[in-house]
Amino acid sequence: MKNKILSFVLVLILFSLLPSLTLAQVQTRVRVIQASNVGKAIDPSLRDLHDQLGSLFNFTSYRLLRDEIVILSPNQPASVSTHKGRSIEITQVGFQRNIAELRVRIRRDGTDILNTQVRLSPGRTVLIGGPKHGEGVVILALSANF
Amino acid sequence: MKDSCSSISQLLERYFDRQATDEERSLVERHLPICQTCHERLTLLEELRKAIKAPVDEALKEETFPWVWEKIERGIRLGKKPSWQESVRSWLDLSPLLRKKVWIPAVATAIVLALVASPLLFKKTPSLSAPSVVEYVESQTYNVMVYEAEKAKVTVIWLFEEMEGESTTS
Repeated sequence: MKNKILSFVLVLILFSLLPSLTLAQVQTRVRVIQASNVGKAIDPSLRDLHDQLGSLFNFTSYRLLRDEIVILSPNQPASVSTHKGRSIEITQVGFQRNIAELRVRIRRDGTDILNTQVRLSPGRTVLIGGPKHGEGVVILALSANF
Repeated sequence: MKDSCSSISQLLERYFDRQATDEERSLVERHLPICQTCHERLTLLEELRKAIKAPVDEALKEETFPWVWEKIERGIRLGKKPSWQESVRSWLDLSPLLRKKVWIPAVATAIVLALVASPLLFKKTPSLSAPSVVEYVESQTYNVMVYEAEKAKVTVIWLFEEMEGESTTS
């Protein structure tokens, strides 16, 4: 009985250490949103962001243009095209417990228009917006899950 | 003499069984040297006792009575309960485990893994309540504003059209 308890404890220790030793993958959600003051429609799939968007911006309409989930391995860039020849490239450059460091590059026709590095944790959102699109602007919403 | 012999004869068995009083024993011991019959009868009683006792003693020597010893040992065990310290020490006794050498590499592996992982486990990391941090941001095309909303758990990076000939790095 004693041997069984001790072996169980050892297995628990080993399993608790394994996640720290494995290479972390970060699941990142990229949503491309068109915000405008034309109409009052809010895309149903943006309900989780509605309060945040409403408290930050004065737009009346939010439309989801693209919704992508990318799995980021360390130092492996992943690219998602957004709109009109623009794309967002995300690279996981660091990972501590509960915090992923992501390098974000937004490109237009092969030229960088934004370089940034953010620390993202589950439940947090980074919004990158401003470029004009149609009658409104484009907002990129980044969130991570790991 | 006959009366005396008759009365002594009645006392002889009590004398033989050592149940006679001092007075009776004195009577018998005075009578035996002078009465052959009573002497022979006493001798007969002694031989009879020897004849009975010898096989019984022999049987007792050969019999080990295991059930008797079991009963005694059980009594000793029940009578002496270990203290709680002894019980804990007994429970924590690792000697049976250590006898199995298969545990040695497992324990060594666990220790090595713990040593390797300890810097990761005890590394000071920002708490979840800390806001997402923009470590740097730069743009050759836009003016950039960064706003972090603590309550809403949102960080906003907003790009403004750049003024002519102006470049922003923050």
